[in-house]
Amino acid sequence: TYLNDFWEKGRSDGEEQSGEQQQQRASPARPSFGKKQLPSIPKNAVPITKPASPAATAQLANGTHASYGPFYLEYSLLAEFTLVIKQKLPGIYVQPSYKSALMWFGVIFIRHGLYQDGVFKFTVYIPDNYPDGECPRVVFDIPVFHPLVDPVSGELDVRRAFTKWRRNHNHIWQVLMYARTVFYKINTMEPLNPEAAVLYDKDVQLFKSKVVDSVKLCNSHLFDQPKMDDPYAISFSSWNPAIHDEAKERMFSHKRRPEDHQKGLPVSGLSWVKPGSTQPFSKDDNPPLS
Amino acid sequence: MASMVANGNRDGRQGEALVLKGVDPETCMIVFKNHWAQVVKILEKHDPLRSNTSSNMAALGVIGLSSGGPMRFGGPIPGDEASAVQNYVEHILFLLMEEDAGQAGAMGPILEFVVMENVMERLFLWSLRRQFTDDMKLEQLKMYEMIVGQARQPLLHHKPVLRPLMMLLSSCSGTAGPEVEAELVSLLNQLCCVLAKDQSVLELFFHTSEDQGAANFLIFSLLIPFIHREGLVGQQARDALLLIMSLSAENQRVAQHIAENTYFCPVLATGLSGLYSSLPTKLEVPGEEWHCLHREDWLQMPTLVQFLNSLEFCNAVIQVAHPNIRDQLVSYIYNGFLVPVLAPALHKPTLEEVMTTTAYLDLFVRSVSEPVLLQTFLSFILLHRHENVHILDTLVSRINTPFQLGTVSLALFQTLIGLYCEDVMLQLILRYLIPCNHMMLSQRRVVKERDFYSVSAAKILALTPSCCSPEHSPPPLRQLDSILWSKGTDNSPNTGTMETEETFLEEDGSGYSCVIGSEIYLDVNYLHYLYNARLGISSCTRACQVWSAPYDGEDPPPEESHPHPRPRPPCPPQTTDPAPTNQLELEWDDSYDAGPVVSPEAATAESSKPPQLPAAEPPKHIQEMRRTAIMLVKGSYIEESDFQDDVMVYDLVAKKDARDTVTKGSKEVKAHVADHNSNLQSPLAEVGDDLMGQYEELIRTLGSDEAGTGGSSPVKTVDKEFRNPVVTPMEEDEVDFSSFSMDTPELEKQHSSLFGTKLCSGSTRSHSVPFTGPFVSVLLSRLENMLDNSLHVNLLLTGILAQLAAYPQPLLQSFLLNTNMVFQPSVRSLYQVLASLKNQIEQQASTKKDFPKLITSAQHCLLARESSLKGQDSRECSPLEAGRMMKSSPPPQPKTISLARTEVFATVLFTEFLKELAAIAQEHSILSHVPMEE
Repeated sequence: TYLNDFWEKGRSDGEEQSGEQQQQRASPARPSFGKKQLPSIPKNAVPITKPASPAATAQLANGTHASYGPFYLEYSLLAEFTLVIKQKLPGIYVQPSYKSALMWFGVIFIRHGLYQDGVFKFTVYIPDNYPDGECPRVVFDIPVFHPLVDPVSGELDVRRAFTKWRRNHNHIWQVLMYARTVFYKINTMEPLNPEAAVLYDKDVQLFKSKVVDSVKLCNSHLFDQPKMDDPYAISFSSWNPAIHDEAKERMFSHKRRPEDHQKGLPVSGLSWVKPGSTQPFSKDDNPPLS
Repeated sequence: MASMVANGNRDGRQGEALVLKGVDPETCMIVFKNHWAQVVKILEKHDPLRSNTSSNMAALGVIGLSSGGPMRFGGPIPGDEASAVQNYVEHILFLLMEEDAGQAGAMGPILEFVVMENVMERLFLWSLRRQFTDDMKLEQLKMYEMIVGQARQPLLHHKPVLRPLMMLLSSCSGTAGPEVEAELVSLLNQLCCVLAKDQSVLELFFHTSEDQGAANFLIFSLLIPFIHREGLVGQQARDALLLIMSLSAENQRVAQHIAENTYFCPVLATGLSGLYSSLPTKLEVPGEEWHCLHREDWLQMPTLVQFLNSLEFCNAVIQVAHPNIRDQLVSYIYNGFLVPVLAPALHKPTLEEVMTTTAYLDLFVRSVSEPVLLQTFLSFILLHRHENVHILDTLVSRINTPFQLGTVSLALFQTLIGLYCEDVMLQLILRYLIPCNHMMLSQRRVVKERDFYSVSAAKILALTPSCCSPEHSPPPLRQLDSILWSKGTDNSPNTGTMETEETFLEEDGSGYSCVIGSEIYLDVNYLHYLYNARLGISSCTRACQVWSAPYDGEDPPPEESHPHPRPRPPCPPQTTDPAPTNQLELEWDDSYDAGPVVSPEAATAESSKPPQLPAAEPPKHIQEMRRTAIMLVKGSYIEESDFQDDVMVYDLVAKKDARDTVTKGSKEVKAHVADHNSNLQSPLAEVGDDLMGQYEELIRTLGSDEAGTGGSSPVKTVDKEFRNPVVTPMEEDEVDFSSFSMDTPELEKQHSSLFGTKLCSGSTRSHSVPFTGPFVSVLLSRLENMLDNSLHVNLLLTGILAQLAAYPQPLLQSFLLNTNMVFQPSVRSLYQVLASLKNQIEQQASTKKDFPKLITSAQHCLLARESSLKGQDSRECSPLEAGRMMKSSPPPQPKTISLARTEVFATVLFTEFLKELAAIAQEHSILSHVPMEE
């Protein structure tokens, strides 16, 4: 449920307000947390089919890693996800799948340039030995016409930007950022789609019209059922004022006054320290004691 | 009608009311006048002046009031006449009560008549004219209570009703029987209810008082004596006063009057002192496990209940009263209770008394909820100096005492840390961390870094002793279940299906299933730790939103806070303390500021002189403390070893008191101490397995040596011999510590100061020396002794550390949980202590064959204990916390293992503690970095 909480947040922080509205399926009811009952975390969890990394396993003796490894992975991905939220990437939304924290659903809105008005759904696949494996993969649901997107599988060539995935230096938000950049800055070197690359270099007008067609195609499939049967898969529905007006209103009003929202919370903490001071009871409004 | 009314006694009024309904008002008026005429006849017959009564009434009233004794005018009044009046009065009052107000709030005809004819005044005078006994007062009070409470129209607005009431009230002040008091308070309470509902009456009360020549607010003043009364009377009085207090919040005049013209606040505060003095000075402690006063404990102690009632009342007053009253009360509580009463009580001469006071203080802090009052208590604890030593330092030093004082002190700090109070955390820990002296300079940027890949959690969990590793203990003991993590993705993007050959499928109604199988063993217990960590960190983070700074290594900036003077107490230091006369004393006295470090030579020279006592002797307490301080001036509290030493000295004293003559095989003392030192440098090295044993033996050896040569107290010598090698940084200086033994206090003397205030915290050292503060030091050194600590001490210790670890401030987090952080060599980190514990445990496990079996028994025992505690207390959720919430009743004794096997229980607890810390570290990595939002 952690991921879901963050997603809620991530969504409301986003800036995107295009004509379409994303709509999530209602989250399935989770069993309540009870002592002897398994909480919901394992359901979001990830498979461990091989040791995270030989080095790590050797270094952590006496089996604690075997028992706790999945927790480390889960929390690494949660940390990545919180970073994505923090970055507030323009026009990009992601949502980890219900089944596995290693699979994130995403959608990207292109606001200007050649691909303007494009709305591309994609999936991020994170290797299960993260962060010691290769870089995450980004696969578009529909292969968009682009030099760096495989015209068959829809996979974006991410690896060229992250030849070696370095823990602590590379983060998933950078991959998402890269996925956005390719639509604004076209690179035709070593293309996965040679046709697109050649057209871009030789006949930009034709390239542009192909892009327009591709964008149209992608957008025409926007309301299709998600490719993945997963409750957290991103699905779109056409604007329905009965549902969306209220949601929109809430998103906007929430964004406008986050401070008011926080003020309403009862705060249990105490402080009489004057800001800028490191002395206890330095605030001016302290009642005199002597 | 007449017979119906005649039947009526006070209990029957309700019934009559029903009957009276529908009787037309004119008839009532006629009956009323009729009865009144009868009364007047009797009244006039006995009027000594036989003139216009109302004009002389006031004068008579005053006379009557001032004496209060039997008063007679003319001859005695015959009994039949008295009871006749009584009867009529009952009837007319009943009619008055039942009358509805006239049109547009005008008086009803009966009330109008009562006002015109001064009925109430004349009745009051009549009762004065007879013997004005308690019975008479009671009758009058009840009469007013009845009409005020039940009248259907406002009566108190009318002076002819109000004035006799005020006279009656003032006649009841002073001595009266308990029945009158009860009735008086009940009436006052009722009047306050009326005031709260209708503030216009308030003005009248003031005016009436002035008419009486007393510029006081009578109903208020009358209530004050009952503030601290126990039982219903006290409760009613306090309720009534609270009504006035909330009135004062809106009415400046009332507030001003109470603050300036009444003794309300002083009475409240000194009352606390009075009630405190009747509390038992020594508590009957139910068992060794006991560490704080639970509800079921104090409910058994009437005096404590009474104290808490009054404290609760103060709390309520501060909550609702006008700021003027609030500030005055808070000041009186500080200067009239905390400083003169509680501070000395915290320094009583015996362990038990001090322990008891500490437990009281803990209870008080837990009972107070109003921030301003809490602040008063906290500033007392944090800033007040008793005989020149901060209460906080005293309390911190006592954590290290053996017996229950140490445990009770720990419990107090658990309470304090649980307040999420910036000021507390600042004084206890943060101010030592702000300068970032404790870490290498290059590490400052690491402070705010987040642990993306749970590296710290992994390092902490890797300390799990091999005998407790998850695979080793079979389910269900370790609450391990195997979970097959669903294979959502595998390697190829499109094989997102789950394997279904596993043994157990749990459907949750969504069509998605959780697969539990046998592939990977996961510590399910750990999920609970994660869950609790999440709750703990979230609530702590939310609470800390009101803090003034993030404490992230940049704000507050490390540089500015470098000299870090100790904040001044709210009261000026006591002038009775003489100025320091030599450098050593200077060192001691200035120790709370960044005092200069005395060179070893100077220290030796100074201390070898006879102590120059100033003309005015400082308090004994201070003298002893100073002596101890002089003894320790060189070696005192150097990060690694200081508190360790304390533990041993305290234990030593304890053992000596108990005349415990445990004998052990002998060993070279110096070798041991040297060992000890080197161990402290590298925590992974062997730490003496039974320090206490060796220490006892040390005393024994040295004691006998001394007996041969001169026969001074063994303890002196121990101190001399023992301290010498511990002074690591100064070792080369070859200080002759024997010169101090001249001035070494006798054991008995020392005893009183030992559990008192030996500690001078981060003050005798220069601030350039990295130091994480006495509190952290003392916690870690107690933790280092985990294997020798009793179970409940360890539960408290680990509980406090977990509590601290849940704080989101990067300075604290990085210090406690970041295993990658590089600290200054002299700084001991939590991880180092844990690592050293792991080694101790591994060593025990390897030398004791039955260790694994014992571990299993201990786990069983703890599980049983946990479930039994769960039964008692339903609000528990965490596995470890349940164990922490120790009750005064002893736990079910395990059959197979004795609680005396502390090392076994500590091992189990250690393993759980690692999980708890790791879970907190993991949750921090995702929680502390996301802006709080609900």
